[in-house]
Amino acid sequence: MASTEKIQNDYIDYVLTEGEQPKSVYIFAKKHEFSEEEFYQHFGSFEGVEQSIWTDLTLKTIAEIKTQEVWPQYSAREKGLSFFYSFFELLKGKRSFAVYSSKRAAKGMGTPKIYAGLKEEFENFSAQILQDGIETGELADRKFLANRYKDALWIQFGFILNFWVNDESKGFEKTDEAIEKGVNVTFDLFQRSPVDNLLDYGKFLVKNGGFKEKMKF
Amino acid sequence: MSEQGKEQNSIPTSKVQRSAKFVKTGFKIGGNYVKHYSKKLFNPDMNKDELNEDNAADIYESLSELKGSALKVAQMLSMDKNILPTAYVDKFSQSQYNAPPLSGPLIVQTFKKYFGKSPEQIYDKFNLKSTNAASIGQVHEAELNGEKLAVKIQYPGVGDSISSDLKLVKPFAFRLLGMSEKELDIYMREVEERLLEETDYELEVRRSIEFTQACKDLKNVVFPTYYPELSKKRIITMSWLEGKHLKEYLQSNPSQEERNLIGQALWDFYNFQQHELRAVHADPHPGNFMITPEGKLGVIDFGCIKEMPDDFYYPFFSTTSTDLLQNKEETIKAFRQLEMILPKDNPQQIEFYYQAYKEMISLFAKPYMTDSFDFSQTEFFDRLYAFGEKIAKMPEFKQARGVKHFIYVNRTNFGLYNILHELKAEVKTDTYRPHVLLEY
Repeated sequence: MASTEKIQNDYIDYVLTEGEQPKSVYIFAKKHEFSEEEFYQHFGSFEGVEQSIWTDLTLKTIAEIKTQEVWPQYSAREKGLSFFYSFFELLKGKRSFAVYSSKRAAKGMGTPKIYAGLKEEFENFSAQILQDGIETGELADRKFLANRYKDALWIQFGFILNFWVNDESKGFEKTDEAIEKGVNVTFDLFQRSPVDNLLDYGKFLVKNGGFKEKMKF
Repeated sequence: MSEQGKEQNSIPTSKVQRSAKFVKTGFKIGGNYVKHYSKKLFNPDMNKDELNEDNAADIYESLSELKGSALKVAQMLSMDKNILPTAYVDKFSQSQYNAPPLSGPLIVQTFKKYFGKSPEQIYDKFNLKSTNAASIGQVHEAELNGEKLAVKIQYPGVGDSISSDLKLVKPFAFRLLGMSEKELDIYMREVEERLLEETDYELEVRRSIEFTQACKDLKNVVFPTYYPELSKKRIITMSWLEGKHLKEYLQSNPSQEERNLIGQALWDFYNFQQHELRAVHADPHPGNFMITPEGKLGVIDFGCIKEMPDDFYYPFFSTTSTDLLQNKEETIKAFRQLEMILPKDNPQQIEFYYQAYKEMISLFAKPYMTDSFDFSQTEFFDRLYAFGEKIAKMPEFKQARGVKHFIYVNRTNFGLYNILHELKAEVKTDTYRPHVLLEY
């Protein structure tokens, strides 16, 4: 009986050696000595296999970082950073596949299907750490905008994934820099900033009416 | 730098002020990028030249405002032109203080990458919040088997940014000083080489162990113990050295005797290295020394080592001996070896440079010419500065002179003189004498 993991690994092996997707599930199953039926018990299509590889990596990352002793002491920002570092560290082990898969996916528009599961898990995780951050006051709770924070993190994720795919530095040191700088900037935007104070001040002036006339605007 | 050479009314002196200077530069450079990209929106053909120039101008502006006394003296011996690289050296050791501290997760990531383990798995205790900034990294406190440790972690990408920053400023510097690329290049490469060496922590650990071993018999000098098995390319583990930094130590009003003892330890440490090892800890930054509770000198950070080849060592240090300076013919030969007198110089030029350098060296080498020297006297330093100013204004010194080794050897010795001056120490200067050759 072929396990989910075996099919995933066989699939990775196939696309990397052949440089393309198998022509059919039949050919793929026959080559790796299991039946077509077994394949369909686990997956609906090859896209499904690819999607599950990405999703599993995400779940594994989240599970792993939460076991760290320091995890409960981390701020939301540090939790976010920790996810990014660990994810790309894990992904290193599957770099060839990740490059193959993401380059193929990049051709379409919007979020490619193969990232659907990954995106869902990522957003659940982000929503949770962001919520914690807002509760502790680390991040600013802005009307409407606060719900969109996770989208900003997702964009950052897409950017760093793309950066990593093209990164040729030793030990992917540049990706570490991209994470440190990029994720920090994103979280800086989530924090209370001078713009909040400016808006606040603006609101105050409007509420205390008629300032336009008085100031001769 | 649109205005012609900004007026300088004050010189930033403290480290805080100096780093504030660089924070400002950082903002400006950030602003330059914004300017560049917004212009580019309207004019996609625009290339990066203008941006680089803006950046270089801002970097240089902050450099030229940084004329600390050490720099001024360096100006004297290194002859105006190599002042620029010297400024880089100082700029780089200073500017690193602005780097934002590494996040906890990045530290964990760095350990995982190099050891395959998290810091908690390696040490019994590890403080994720850093205690100090080192020049290109930060220091964390840790504990293993009951021993307190200092763990130094390097910022990622430092090596790359050194090379690219130097490249960025280079073309601007050539034009600003009106000197040819070839002339300046020798010095620039020397600086780049040393700076890049500083980023190799494995090399630093090897050298630290070698140097602490070689210097172990020096009186009143102590070193931390290094742990190579707990060190990697970007991580160094060493024992924690307790003590006060020079500034704090001086504030505690140590007696003349105590200060002399520390000063003597410093003098011996440097001159033993220069004259016996022919390689020297070339970063006499006060932050690299500690005064231990027992009143000894603790030396940390062997990132920057300058090795002196014989063809530099002998002609340079022999001129500190009156026996050689009295022999004009041999002195000129030594100056030629050091490229202070160049083959194409005519007889008048030879005479001019011979006199100027002779005057300068006899001033610089004063501490070496007697058995002991009192570094508290300001008169000696005033004369050094005054001479530096005079030389800087002479058109004859507008051209680069002197071999590349001067940059770091000068920096080391002026750094040493300055610290001794701050200590107001009187030291016996005949403990480790230069080895002298009288014929060239």
